[in-house]
Amino acid sequence: MRVGVSIGTLVLVAAGSLAAQQPAPPPPGPPPLAVGVEAPDFTLPASTMAGLSAKPVHLKDLRGKTVVLAFFYKARTKG
Amino acid sequence: MDAYRDQYAQIFGDTGKVTLLAISVDPDTMLAAWAAEKKYAPWTFLSDPKAMVGRQYGATKKFPLTPLLDNRTLYVVDRNGIIVHVMAPFRETDPTAYTDLEAAIKKASAGP
Repeated sequence: MRVGVSIGTLVLVAAGSLAAQQPAPPPPGPPPLAVGVEAPDFTLPASTMAGLSAKPVHLKDLRGKTVVLAFFYKARTKG
Repeated sequence: MDAYRDQYAQIFGDTGKVTLLAISVDPDTMLAAWAAEKKYAPWTFLSDPKAMVGRQYGATKKFPLTPLLDNRTLYVVDRNGIIVHVMAPFRETDPTAYTDLEAAIKKASAGP
């Protein structure tokens, strides 16, 4: 029994010290933009299933069209 | 992304009046290869490796032990460049997220 208690204590101490070594959670980023504000302009390199696009996409060039901006984690992830 | 591909005409219409731009921190070469492999058409991927645009739009988060990544965040921008609908986070596994998006796009695109 005493051995069991000692091992349990060791595990708890080890877990506690591991938790203490974890980096602090990063601060939250800025919140998403609100409805009604102008979408900030940007220019980014573009690609499609046909390959790299010769021209980057400039958001302002798309005025007159409805634009959906879909931010996502990484290529080869779901969603 | 599979849902966008499989329901593209339903969600975004087929008139060419709606442009979908999918943005991540991946290099453009990786996005192009993935798009070709998965036959992701007809939309465009944008590469934002330093998350400059993601940060501007409040999409970027610093997750523990990883580089910067963009949360699934979706904006509908109308013909005048105004944000008219925000989905943050975009719930990619929830079918109602796509019906909500479709409705928002129809509303934004209505009119002459």
